Amino acid sequence: MDSVTVFSLEFWKVMAPETILLLGLVAVFVIPNLGHAKFRIPLTKVRVPWFLGGRRFAITGDPSIPGLIGAATLTGAFLITLMTEMMGEGGTTAIMSSGGIKLLQVDGFSRIFELIFFGALMLAAIASMDRVPATMQHSSNTLEEMYDNRRQADLYILMLTTALGMSMVALAQNLFILFVGLELASFSTYILVAFHKESKAGAEAGVKYFIVGSVASGVGLYGLSLLYLAFGTLQLDGLATGWANSGDAILPVIGLGMVLVGFGFKVSAAPFHFAAPDAYAGANSPIAGVLATASKAMGMVGLIRVLVLVASPVGETSATWLCLLGVLSAVTMTWGNIAALGSKNPKRMLAYSSVAHAGYLLAALTAVGAWHWGHVDMPEHYATAILAAIFFHLMVLVAIKLGAFLVLGLLEMEGGASRLSSLAGLGRRDPLIATSMFIFMMALAGVPPLAGFMSKFLVIGGIVKMSIGDLAASGGIESLDSLHWVWWLGLLMFLNSAVSVFYYLRVGVVMFLDAPEEGRRKPLPYGISIRMSIWICAVATILLGVAGDTFIEMCYSAAEGLFGL
Amino acid sequence: MSANSTLDIKNKEFILVGLLLVTVAGLAAFFPSLGSNAQGEVDWISLPLVGFPIVVSGILMAFASQESRARKEILAGPIRLATLCFSLIPLAISTALFFDWLIAVDWALGYNEYALESRYHWMESIGVSWHVGMDGLSFPMVWLTTFLVPVTIIMTWEEKNGAVYHPLLLMMGGALIGVFVSLDLFMFYIFWELTLIPMFFLILSWGGKDRRYASQKFFIYTFASSVIMLLGLITLYFLQPAQDASTNPWVGDLTGRSFDIVTILDQANHGNLGDGIFLGMGMQKVLFVLLMIGFLVKLPAVPFHTWLPDAHVQAPTGGSMLLAGVMLKMGAYGMFRLPLALFPDALMHYQHCIMAIGLISLVWGAFVCLGQTNLKKMVAYSSVSHMGVILLGIASMQPIGYAAALFMMFAHGIISPMLFAVCGAFKHHYHSMEIGAMRGMAKFSPFLAVYMMFAWMASLGLPLLAGFVAELMVLLAYWAIYGWWILLPGLALAITATYYLWSMQRTIFEGGDEGQPPATLLGENPPDLTLPENIGMIILAFFTVLFGVFPFIALGMMDDWTVAFFEGVFNRGGI
Repeated sequence: MDSVTVFSLEFWKVMAPETILLLGLVAVFVIPNLGHAKFRIPLTKVRVPWFLGGRRFAITGDPSIPGLIGAATLTGAFLITLMTEMMGEGGTTAIMSSGGIKLLQVDGFSRIFELIFFGALMLAAIASMDRVPATMQHSSNTLEEMYDNRRQADLYILMLTTALGMSMVALAQNLFILFVGLELASFSTYILVAFHKESKAGAEAGVKYFIVGSVASGVGLYGLSLLYLAFGTLQLDGLATGWANSGDAILPVIGLGMVLVGFGFKVSAAPFHFAAPDAYAGANSPIAGVLATASKAMGMVGLIRVLVLVASPVGETSATWLCLLGVLSAVTMTWGNIAALGSKNPKRMLAYSSVAHAGYLLAALTAVGAWHWGHVDMPEHYATAILAAIFFHLMVLVAIKLGAFLVLGLLEMEGGASRLSSLAGLGRRDPLIATSMFIFMMALAGVPPLAGFMSKFLVIGGIVKMSIGDLAASGGIESLDSLHWVWWLGLLMFLNSAVSVFYYLRVGVVMFLDAPEEGRRKPLPYGISIRMSIWICAVATILLGVAGDTFIEMCYSAAEGLFGL
Repeated sequence: MSANSTLDIKNKEFILVGLLLVTVAGLAAFFPSLGSNAQGEVDWISLPLVGFPIVVSGILMAFASQESRARKEILAGPIRLATLCFSLIPLAISTALFFDWLIAVDWALGYNEYALESRYHWMESIGVSWHVGMDGLSFPMVWLTTFLVPVTIIMTWEEKNGAVYHPLLLMMGGALIGVFVSLDLFMFYIFWELTLIPMFFLILSWGGKDRRYASQKFFIYTFASSVIMLLGLITLYFLQPAQDASTNPWVGDLTGRSFDIVTILDQANHGNLGDGIFLGMGMQKVLFVLLMIGFLVKLPAVPFHTWLPDAHVQAPTGGSMLLAGVMLKMGAYGMFRLPLALFPDALMHYQHCIMAIGLISLVWGAFVCLGQTNLKKMVAYSSVSHMGVILLGIASMQPIGYAAALFMMFAHGIISPMLFAVCGAFKHHYHSMEIGAMRGMAKFSPFLAVYMMFAWMASLGLPLLAGFVAELMVLLAYWAIYGWWILLPGLALAITATYYLWSMQRTIFEGGDEGQPPATLLGENPPDLTLPENIGMIILAFFTVLFGVFPFIALGMMDDWTVAFFEGVFNRGGI
């Protein structure tokens, strides 16, 4: 493992994606402000061109500049991460403070999550160029257009800071750094959710999301302080050693529970999910898509770090949190699905389905917690398979869930997508978009051979494999009683997927069979960039399903790296 | 001016479709060089039989889709002609494979051996491969499918919106063949679901009055059942013993398991738990039931049959023909391929259960037929009844019963399309399905009356027609096991004869001497069969007689397969 010091030359090279983001951020600040400003040297008549301010140049005055910079920056960060990972040049690099403390670590794990974060934000940023359009300034601009022109820079600055915060979370080796990154990303998303502040729904969603989110963060922070109190450090490896030696101490368990609340909110697990449907419904669709994919992945990073790496089970026992998380996941997936069955608003439906997916991921984590249950020979290998499945599922979610939200975004452009009937007749109005939406829905339901099946299959596979352990080889499976009980979570997940087919299929039925609403008979608005994002998502959904081997291997080696295999 | 421009359009479309035809035919001619498997042999299955129909029908539909209604009508002619030509290519190939014209195929295979096997890596992480092959179980079904698609296209030559309708039939055929040739569970499941989509659209767009209800019921019912089947398949996947990916390239890198049917059957055969036992008895029963539910719904057997009458009554003629002819057999095929081969102990345990389900299907189906006033519904319930015969053959656990069940699948696959073709012709010429609405058909539509009589006789099991052989063999096997219980199926067959004869008496003969055509025989359509309908009927009737008089053409292969199957499955160590 290499190690570099913070802010050395090597540091910027290792942190290339983040460096690009930082530069892009500065560019979004600076470039729209470039103009014919001149600075008069005092007491003389010499005017030195100063460029910052004044009447803008023709190029920098174009309101679409921030969008272009933002999308290009995120694309660059995404591509550079992808290339490093694909070419296998990554390796593991620790980033030390000048005092020799490990602050960040760039490895397969962090790159996988950076791919997820940057990918989601990139697609959302590209789509936002149509969803929050910039129009050339002229006298006849409507109020709405002027609003949108004014807030172009804000939107992309916030997206870039979100990306920066999220990648900090993926890199962090210290719970405090992790928390700071989480908060940077969270605060940016709070504002993004409330971005349409002139509409009631936008403001309401932002306030709700902010209040619930900050309470959850507060509880999480308090949990962190308890952990610090117990172990005297917030370094991940220090915490892990401390946890292993803590015996039955109650203080760290309480701290862990509180930390769970903070991350549970981010992944929208069951008792902490109440703000999610409102936030998703009020935010504009690309942002809601980011919340459902990148933000959820960020919460999962926290959970994996804390639950698997810090509070991992010791010796022959199960993890302390096993039953708790098992119940949580069962409740989350069932609640999400049942609520989705009854929701008539497609955005709320997707939000609840996102809750259900959080339940599936938690079920997988629960199975990791069972890895020392006595019939498992090489627990790390079993845990690796499950974690790889979790990574792959999060990756796949970017394609399918964000794609579905972007289709709704396209509908919002012509006046809203808050009723299921706004999708009616889409099959006739725009067959290609309707087919993409159908693909996303089927993938969410987990119909083979789409990506959603593949990832769910790997998750269920990991759970079942863990619960069988080595019994299959030794021939001990006489009945289901001989398996570990996490088996039931796998079954529950399957049953929930079967139930979910109903509401996903309903979208298809509405799109292809119902007649379009009054006033929605014309073709959809064109929006080349949002369409491009949708098509990228649709193609990715199919390809990750039928030819996802490269990415699965990638997730696998990332998971192996986590256990040092 | 306008006449000229119409002509222009017509010519242009003809030229375009002609070009397409030539291109694809050229591609088809070069198939041997396009597809060859790892052993360097020609892959006669993947592209020519499965990929080709699906891709070509997709191209044809795309070709027809973005046109105005008028242009669509103009396109319909050339497209249906092209579809017919393309559907003849798989038929030619499968027929040639049967007679060893293309390549010497040895159909005398041992248990778990397949002819024309081809295999390619697909998803190595979880052990999915593209694996196709045929044996005595699947080849008759494949031939039947390739045979029925062109016949169906001819029979429904004048269907409206033919530019999409006929390619959908072709696509359906490709998907069905895909189900029969798959030797990989993953592929099998995908094709299994893929067959739903063309059928869903056939019912939805060309169906009768309640088509929306019927198509949704059809889709949800069969989809739900196949999800249960999927649960079984995935559990089966995980419960097979893991292998080392470095020694066997076909198992998954990550999971150490394989979706490959041949591998799984092999493991079941050698019994990974020692003493030839594959899984504990409890697990065997669970998996057997899960898989059987999926297949019984498709078959359909009595408690799960309610989707069938609705789907049939609403479906267009072509859809009904393929649905009854091949799609129902997917259920029986799946039983033979998976649960019966994997879990013979569970089959023994549930033998009487299956017998009861088969018997109830047979008797109940026949009784319901008696009370039907809708001709098509009656024929649909008769399908339920005949599928019960297949279950009886399975429950007998006799080689002759299995062979009979296979032949029943084949024979019913030829006869039931003819039944539905007759119903479709009724609808076409008499504008009604009600038995009471037709009187004296022998006088007004003699051809239709003749074919109806022929089809009805074939279905009730007249000797020298294909259905008789199968029924007789099943009864023999049943007698060997259940003795005098044979009176029950015997009774059911008597009822079958009754409802068929009664319905004929009411439609063909009664009331003809009054000299007045029935009130529904109105409109522009001619009162008797059109030329395409006649051609289709004659083809179907010819093969019904052919396989009735010379059943061994197909039965020989099925017999060989059954013998090998019994040696392989029931002579395992543990049993």
